Amino acid sequence: MRVSLQWLSDYVDLVVDAEELADRLTNAGTSVESVERVTGGWDGCVVGRVLEVFPHPRADRLSVCRVDVGGEVKEIVCGAPNVRAGMLSPVALPGARIADGKLVGEAEIRGVRSWGMLLSEKELGISDDAEGVMVLEEGMEPGTDLHLALGLEDTVLILEITPNRPDCLSMLGIAREVAALTGQALRRPRIQVYEEGPPAEEEVRVEILDEEKCSRYVARLIDEVKVGPSPWWMRKRLRAAGIRPISNVVDVTNYVMLEMGQPLHAFDYHLLKEGHIIVRRAEPGDRLVTLDGVKRDLHPEDLLICDPGGPVALAGVMGGELSEVSSRTSKVLLESAHFEPSGIMRTSRRHDLSSEASYRFERGVDPDGCLPAADRAAGLIAELAGGKVRPGAVDVRARSVAPRRLELRVERAGRLIGITLNKEEASRILESLELKVVGISEDRLRVEVPTFRPDLEREIDLVEELARIYGYQRIPATLPRTSHNVGFLTREQRLRREIARVMAGCGLHEAITVSFVPGWWLEVLDPERRHLPPQPLRLRNPLSEEASMLRPSLLPGLLEAVRFNLNRRLVDVHLFEMGRVFLPLEGRKLPQEPLRLGAVLTGRWLPKPWDGEAQDCDFYTMKGILEVLMRTLHVEDWELESGEGPPFLHPMRRGTVMLEGKEAGYMGTLHPRVAENLDIPGAEVMEVEVAALVEAAKDLPPFKEIPRFPSVQVDLALVVDEEVPAAEVERVIRSAGGDLLREVRLFDLYRGAQIGKGEKSLAYSLVFYSLERTLREDEVREIVEGVVGALAAELGARLR
Amino acid sequence: MIPDELAREMESHPAVGPVFKRLLLELERADDARSLERVRIDYLGRKGAINALLQDIRNLPAEERREVGRLLNLLKSRLEQELEIRLERIRERELEESLRLQKLDVTLPGRHIPYGTRHLISTIIEQIEDIFLGLGYRVVEGPEVELDYYNFEALNTPEWHPSKSLQDTFYVEVPGGNYRDVLLRTHTSPVQVRVMESTPPPLYVIAPGKAYRHDVPDATHSPIFHQVEGLVVDEDISLGDLKGTLENFARRMFGEDRRVRFRPHFFPFTEPSAEVDVSCNMCGGDGCRVCKWTGWLEILGAGMVDPNVFSYVGYDPERWSGFAFGMGVERIALLKYGVPDIRYFYDNDLRLLRQF
Repeated sequence: MRVSLQWLSDYVDLVVDAEELADRLTNAGTSVESVERVTGGWDGCVVGRVLEVFPHPRADRLSVCRVDVGGEVKEIVCGAPNVRAGMLSPVALPGARIADGKLVGEAEIRGVRSWGMLLSEKELGISDDAEGVMVLEEGMEPGTDLHLALGLEDTVLILEITPNRPDCLSMLGIAREVAALTGQALRRPRIQVYEEGPPAEEEVRVEILDEEKCSRYVARLIDEVKVGPSPWWMRKRLRAAGIRPISNVVDVTNYVMLEMGQPLHAFDYHLLKEGHIIVRRAEPGDRLVTLDGVKRDLHPEDLLICDPGGPVALAGVMGGELSEVSSRTSKVLLESAHFEPSGIMRTSRRHDLSSEASYRFERGVDPDGCLPAADRAAGLIAELAGGKVRPGAVDVRARSVAPRRLELRVERAGRLIGITLNKEEASRILESLELKVVGISEDRLRVEVPTFRPDLEREIDLVEELARIYGYQRIPATLPRTSHNVGFLTREQRLRREIARVMAGCGLHEAITVSFVPGWWLEVLDPERRHLPPQPLRLRNPLSEEASMLRPSLLPGLLEAVRFNLNRRLVDVHLFEMGRVFLPLEGRKLPQEPLRLGAVLTGRWLPKPWDGEAQDCDFYTMKGILEVLMRTLHVEDWELESGEGPPFLHPMRRGTVMLEGKEAGYMGTLHPRVAENLDIPGAEVMEVEVAALVEAAKDLPPFKEIPRFPSVQVDLALVVDEEVPAAEVERVIRSAGGDLLREVRLFDLYRGAQIGKGEKSLAYSLVFYSLERTLREDEVREIVEGVVGALAAELGARLR
Repeated sequence: MIPDELAREMESHPAVGPVFKRLLLELERADDARSLERVRIDYLGRKGAINALLQDIRNLPAEERREVGRLLNLLKSRLEQELEIRLERIRERELEESLRLQKLDVTLPGRHIPYGTRHLISTIIEQIEDIFLGLGYRVVEGPEVELDYYNFEALNTPEWHPSKSLQDTFYVEVPGGNYRDVLLRTHTSPVQVRVMESTPPPLYVIAPGKAYRHDVPDATHSPIFHQVEGLVVDEDISLGDLKGTLENFARRMFGEDRRVRFRPHFFPFTEPSAEVDVSCNMCGGDGCRVCKWTGWLEILGAGMVDPNVFSYVGYDPERWSGFAFGMGVERIALLKYGVPDIRYFYDNDLRLLRQF
């Protein structure tokens, strides 16, 4: 909303400067987005009186004018058809700059010297009218600076009006706020209507067929109007408000809407059938060409203004082209009605058409404001367009609206705000906003809410008004006094932070990928839906097909991030993400949203150092990370089970992450076919349920006694069949090694000429110790022999 | 090695003198461990020069014998000490020499130790959580796929509200069901309702998480973003408490020197409502492009919980009052770290991730 301070000062004395006013409004909830200084955009122009007009000796269409520019008379050549002796007109003197930036000089035009130029409104940039020179109103002194003469210098506040404050969508509403905030009195415009001729009701009939959507319709009839341009003062104000002046009749409807907040519409009475207004919903086949020239098919929910011949306006949104006021109009039917907000909003949205009127109706217009606005506008039309207002308004009311009454507990209001408040101060604040305190008892005020404040429905709404005008900045800042709140993270929240920290500590960067993925990801990863849900969740209204599915896995997002980086030549990508995936639950509206930990590695793990070799990311890099994670979370019972796994992983390089015997995720090398489809060189990936990790994590790892006696280390190199998994070998070693075997560590893996084909050699280092004593060499030897025996018996292993 | 007077005495002694002078000479020449050892053997060894002289004193008269013996024993012990000192000095020198050969260019880069980073958004969420944990809040969560009831209705949002349109809210198609009221939450506020539904007051909670809006991505909009919601319900909670809490938060988050401003505003689920600004850190409040020449940066929306919301969850609005607030994490990141484009947060460009 654009508020001209010049205009505003009609209704309230402005006792503070524009900046201070902007601050006060902002601090009271009407946010001032900017303060705009308005000037004409020209320079060096003055008022001139045309004294004489002669035809140009050598050009038919030009005339030579003698113009009084204030104490001096200059000759100016002019081409405008409307120039005549005696008129007042703006003059650009040599050296002036006009609206398009052009510099005016002395010129010789067909042999006659011209000392400047007479200006059209277009040349002044105040309208598109280039037909003739601008005609200034009488009373201005020749030679006066044009800015001063036109009163153009102004300050405009650009306000953000919150949707709960429709009353602030008017100059009077803002003036009311300003009055309350500066302790000044509000001045209402004087409404005067001189009525003449036969009563309006003889020629106008109004019928409301939909009382739910239209609670009141006021019509006034103005006859013998002369449609023409509005006077400068009105055009100036409309322009400051951002509305283009059209004609006196239309400008008045806009002016009064801006002034009082009540949208109005003017019909050409002669273009309405029988002077009969019918307010109803659209019927099948109803069509209307609105003022913007668009032919609209109407929806049964649209509210229409009709005459017996059909629709003439889209109620509260826009008038129809056929009944539009034009230069030929001589009789005007003025509509001032009240329409129900949500219906207007829906119609406006349905037709993708919003107007100053619909904007106001959507938010709620004063249901009691129809009549004064109609009177104000009728009076102004009579004044500016020379019309005669027919006696009486045709006022059809579906229901009357009584002002609401609310109880306010003053002490409680003060407590809610955090201030001490007495009845006097509360009353003063409320009355400054034109709320009436109609009763005072003990601690309570009875407050009557005027109809222009539909937002004040409950006691709490009055509390807000009190806080607002009292001033948020004056409320002391305190903290809740209670002591029974204790802040902490839950175990799961704590562990989640730990997991993220470990992953970052391992050298991975945390990613946050979007939750939407294109549907084709399912086809790339798992065309037969062996792992991912057969029917993922989809958006009904995605932004694009590429963002139409809710992710059932973190993998697409992470691989997408890999691609993004590869495309930018960032080839060593190590990412993890902790985020929710969405899995539909049979028979339930809301899906499951398990939190997952995902990771992806591609490229080199360690870049080539200056004295050695680079190290690529491989399966065992990811496994190492998983091991660190398990170790930090003190997860003891976990393993990577080989064999089955998601189809998007390399069938020979994948495993299922088992936590306490339960499946909790997967890890492996991306299937080369998938990598090829995605155009990436390959990747190591994993995805685990965070809840399972949290469940398996040990908060209190038991203390293990540190040995005081020396340990014995024995290294064993074993040859086994290629197919024997290392985990099996280790399991047999541990079980045969007994209690004294404390550590088993693989330190070498060999395949090659020194052993048979299809065999591998695994070298383990075994550490034995006892907490009670130093172990004897022979007892360790005996255990080791047992281990070797068990390995041979169970796995066919032999010492190398 | 030997005090001057004694040295002179030894030098001038007819029997000890020549050996002593030779010894001094050889000692000076010995410049490594091996030649020192040679000196030790030559003079102190069993068959060494000093022992040889001691053998000879037998032939001397008694008092001269005592004199020579005294001198030789003195020489022996002094020489032992001297050899020890010289040997130590030489070892030191040899070590220094070998260290000199081990010289490294300390300006070469260190070995690559993999290091990772947290995402800036996660870091900021943890910062916010920590501030409120300190104020006695707990962290709660709710689903991202939500019901209209929690996202709009119970938050006092009218049925016709524009934010519910297909242009503003993502609606979710649930396989096997034709529901119209399943959506991606447009804010973290539904968590308020869920928590109040399941927990009796008093409540001091914050709810961080993702939220979604039907916005085409640009520098300041993203269809996916993060919010942190806060909710306090207790007896006698006032607008002043909200002000104190958020001032506290804003200063901890943005700096102790920042000014904080509360402006009345409008939200459907709070009454009275407020928007909170902090003074602009780019211009110090004088006005610049970042703060659109206002000197202030809007950081969050807040207000007293609307009694209607309490009635939805069965809290007695006469007994309990409370406040709620919500802030955009990306916006805080933009303002605090100067990241100019919200889309950067979801590209996962390593060049951005590595920075924080």
